[in-house]
Amino acid sequence: MKESIKPPVEIRYQKELAALEAADTARKPGNWRLSPQAVRTFILGSREPVTYQGETISVRKKYFGNDALVERCIITLAGNRGLMLVGEPGTAKTMLSELLSAAISGVSTNTIQGTAGTTEDMIKYSWNYALLLAKGPNREALVPAPLYVGMERGILTRFEEITRTPAEIQDSLISVLSDKVLNVPELGDDGFLFAKPGFNVIGTANTRDKGVNEMSSALKRRFNFETVMPVREVSLEKQIILNEVSELAAENGIDMTPDEKAAELLASTYHELREGISSYGHRIDKPSAVMSTAEAVSVYYQTMISGYYYGDRSFDVDCLVQNLVGAISKENKDDLSKVKEYFSTVIKDKSSKEGGLWKKYYEARKWLK
Amino acid sequence: MEKILRSEEMAEIVLLPVRHHSPACSFHVKKVIEDYAPSVILIEGPENANELIPVMVHPDTAAPFAIYYSYYDKAGQISEEKEHYKCYYPFLDYSPELVALRTANALGIPAAFMDLSYADILAASEKGQGLRKKEEKNNYNDDYLLSRNTYIKKLCEKANLRSFDEFWEKYFEIEGLSRESKDWFSDLLLYCTQARENTPEEVIREDGSLAREMHMAETILRVICGIPAPGDSYIPEEAFLAKEPEIPLRILVVTGGFHTPSLSALLQDDEFVSSVKKKGRQKAKKQQQNVYLMPYSMEAADALNGYASGMPYPAFYEQIWEKLFESPEDCYKQTVLDFLVACGKETRKKEGNISTYDEICAVRMADGLSFLRGKSEPGAYELFDAVLSSYVKGEYTIATDTPMLILKKNMTGSAIGKLCGQAAIPPIVQDFEAQCKLFSLKTGSTLETEVTLSPFSSDKQREKSCFFHRMLFLNTSYARRLKGPNLQRQKDRNLIREIWRYKWSAQVNAALIDVSVYGATIEEAADSLVKEELKKEIGAGACALLLTKVFEMGLKNKLQTVYDQAQMLIQKDTDFYSLADALSYLKMMRELGPLYQSELDFELLLQLTIRKLISLLPSMVTVKEEDLNKCMNAIKLLYQLTKGDTQEEFFRILMQMQKDPQIQAGLDGCIHGILYGGGKEDASLIEKACLGYFRGTKVQMKKTALFFRGLFFSARDLIFIGEQILSMLDIFLQQAESAEFMELLPELRMAFTYFTPREIDRIAEKAAALHGKTGSDITSLKEIPSDWYAYGKELDCYIKDRT
Repeated sequence: MKESIKPPVEIRYQKELAALEAADTARKPGNWRLSPQAVRTFILGSREPVTYQGETISVRKKYFGNDALVERCIITLAGNRGLMLVGEPGTAKTMLSELLSAAISGVSTNTIQGTAGTTEDMIKYSWNYALLLAKGPNREALVPAPLYVGMERGILTRFEEITRTPAEIQDSLISVLSDKVLNVPELGDDGFLFAKPGFNVIGTANTRDKGVNEMSSALKRRFNFETVMPVREVSLEKQIILNEVSELAAENGIDMTPDEKAAELLASTYHELREGISSYGHRIDKPSAVMSTAEAVSVYYQTMISGYYYGDRSFDVDCLVQNLVGAISKENKDDLSKVKEYFSTVIKDKSSKEGGLWKKYYEARKWLK
Repeated sequence: MEKILRSEEMAEIVLLPVRHHSPACSFHVKKVIEDYAPSVILIEGPENANELIPVMVHPDTAAPFAIYYSYYDKAGQISEEKEHYKCYYPFLDYSPELVALRTANALGIPAAFMDLSYADILAASEKGQGLRKKEEKNNYNDDYLLSRNTYIKKLCEKANLRSFDEFWEKYFEIEGLSRESKDWFSDLLLYCTQARENTPEEVIREDGSLAREMHMAETILRVICGIPAPGDSYIPEEAFLAKEPEIPLRILVVTGGFHTPSLSALLQDDEFVSSVKKKGRQKAKKQQQNVYLMPYSMEAADALNGYASGMPYPAFYEQIWEKLFESPEDCYKQTVLDFLVACGKETRKKEGNISTYDEICAVRMADGLSFLRGKSEPGAYELFDAVLSSYVKGEYTIATDTPMLILKKNMTGSAIGKLCGQAAIPPIVQDFEAQCKLFSLKTGSTLETEVTLSPFSSDKQREKSCFFHRMLFLNTSYARRLKGPNLQRQKDRNLIREIWRYKWSAQVNAALIDVSVYGATIEEAADSLVKEELKKEIGAGACALLLTKVFEMGLKNKLQTVYDQAQMLIQKDTDFYSLADALSYLKMMRELGPLYQSELDFELLLQLTIRKLISLLPSMVTVKEEDLNKCMNAIKLLYQLTKGDTQEEFFRILMQMQKDPQIQAGLDGCIHGILYGGGKEDASLIEKACLGYFRGTKVQMKKTALFFRGLFFSARDLIFIGEQILSMLDIFLQQAESAEFMELLPELRMAFTYFTPREIDRIAEKAAALHGKTGSDITSLKEIPSDWYAYGKELDCYIKDRT
């Protein structure tokens, strides 16, 4: 039995990181665990395997879609500005920020989870009141929050869903990002915390969900923005689904190999519904629900585990369609009828032209209700 | 760089592979020419442009310019369609071919183009391939074969580069500047050989490359063997005379890298060499093809690059070329910095949110990326990434992409080339100048001038108007009509004057050269273009529209052809709206015929169109709401134009349509109005139909407003005859609930747009009388006291302060 559902990136890829570190000869910015080149290799993969302690370790590609974006992210983090990843939900912003943190600082858990209830002390520091009352304000009584930790240790601080926090709380980052110093007035002259080299902030923000706040332009100026777009190629999306599902299955001890054809089916459904046009050229009404690759992965994985526990360990298309309904009919009831339309036009054509699994997929439309 | 020694002919041939529009390539070509000092330079390019070389290298000629080739296949040798063909060969200051020509000129080395003539290339290409692709602008130097193959795709993947252009920039441009020319050309040749090996043989054959390579190799051999081919070849005589018995001939050949491996093989193939020698002198071939130089723009050069025919971003690489000789070690760094600053400045001016610190961050980003990507200096791709990362604030959407748009615009540039005074003037430009002189129009000034014409008062004024219309039709951007009858939109037909604004610029000449393939005079070109338009698959409406243009352009000899074509299309066309358009144009032209000095009889065409439309009418019963207006207009027009038996037939069809329960309510109203106007129906029937709608089920009731809209369109006078229609409308409005009324309001508004303001007043008075009021009771409102205004203003200020 494994110890956690989802171990942090630095644990999952412990060997890869260690191997890359040992083989890394390029120049590194202060306090970086890996050089910018090695960070790139860690995220975008390498054709050549790395040998570490007599073992050959292959570094596979972990982030698909836009290599130049990853390169820009790395250079931004080596500079003076924070990195802000923006984009639709489910476009692997969080995953990218975890990968960057693990590769650069060796730790991806120094994270602030932004919510409407996030306060300044969850970002900077708070106090252990028992110690504060007993000994007065001193470093021992101070409970550092992720921003403080990042500055003190010279590591990256991740700020997830920054736009969910109220604008005035977001703005508490402004002075820290520009001056790289945090003042704790209670500590008097010792209250200045100067950030160590290696410190920076990676923010992620979602632009489509309800309930997000606008960022002030002062804060925007302190970040370089990178817009993460949904994957544009069906083949790539299929590859992501297969990779992610295989990993999830391995982590959870599910002894089943993902079906490539089914992944293609799901990838093309998500892709076509997101883009509003099919590979045959049909015009499609786009559902308002988020049709992200992450959603597709979760639909696929759900189908796979139900096949594993309840079925005959095979991939059941009926179950896939049932899970698809669950994933799509969340926000708007019209979405389901749009998917029905999609089945009765696009999938119908594909089933008659390509047959096989497409035919089964079309037959499973009965579950769309 | 491939060196071939032909000891038998006492010649050394150096083959230089190039990529079009590449600064590094030009840099090395220049160096090789200076170091090697060849006796002759032969360059890839259709040989029928050789006579233009003196103008191309003239100090007063400024790039960008293009060689324009055109050919009219009158005899149908290339294809049965007997088409007009044209293509461009653009040159920028850093095009290796131009650099070779200029360097040769400076050093006194004879240089010439050596490819097949344009017409021969066309003949050697398969339909739809190479220069016979159906594209808006075909480009001679299209080296797509270098950049589009499986080999380059894999190479880019392996090198972690996103495209061939980035690959090229990294390995050949940035790194290429510090390398020895010999090594640089060897690498390029290696790459080109790989690209060629990975291109299917049929692609190379179909686009005419094989035939061209044979011809180029033949030309090289004829030069080294001293066998000039008078007539078909324009290679200067001195190229052949350069050979002196004791000194070996050194010949430098500059071609697109894709052809170099094949040329090398042919030149070393003894069988091929002896076959060329045996051929000896060749007879001249006569071909009607034109070739001119024309000024070109950076944008046009970049647009052509959409097909990877050369490097993109001409203004960026132009600056690299300028800086290359001053500081070869950091010319990219300097240029990237210049573009970042210029882009920052322009964005700041437009949006105001870019600071100097943003610019510093952008420079750091470009440097950092070049380091990460293993490039010694940042290039165009790092420049893009730097602007995207440091200048775009927030999510990258159309609302925030200004910096990227500015950067792209700057990297493309806006420079326009210039030709020296000695450049040959094509006949069409001569005709243009002669006509400008005839009509006393200025060609020297680039300021816009306004001129008022009365085309129907004198022949000269009419001719002048025709000239402007022809220039407009040829898309020359020379003249635009400010006022005057617009036959295409059927507007302002009552005007007897035309006001035009015209402005001459170098682009007007370029545009004229562009259409010179269609004729030697403006009239001829317009004439041929009309013919080309007719070849396209157009409907009856579009054909009638073209006829209006022919009217305006005064192309009398084309009128009958277009008329005949229109007749054929009307017979074939089954699109109701296209025929309806044709009908309205034909009606207009019948009325205006004498004014435009046309003797065509439109009656026959009109009757034909009317019959076709009547036969198609029943299919319009369930017309879509968005097409209702077009349909009602057509019905009204048919009513106006039919008479006698045809009109009876028309009414019969309308009555038949009314019986269809599915009939669209607006159309129903319109038909009732028409039948009422034609005396086929009395007001009581209309009232009945009206009551049917608003006493019907809820869905039908909601269609009442649409019915009124149709009715008022065709018979608005009904409302003033008797009280019935108005009182019905009144009852209907009283019955409608407030929410329903709001739903119906847009349709009702539309219905009342057919009345003049005076008529609306009369209706309002009548409506008021129904409720025992007078018109003034409802039109005059109580005065608003001044203190209310003051209060409102105060309230406004208060709210403004609070927000």
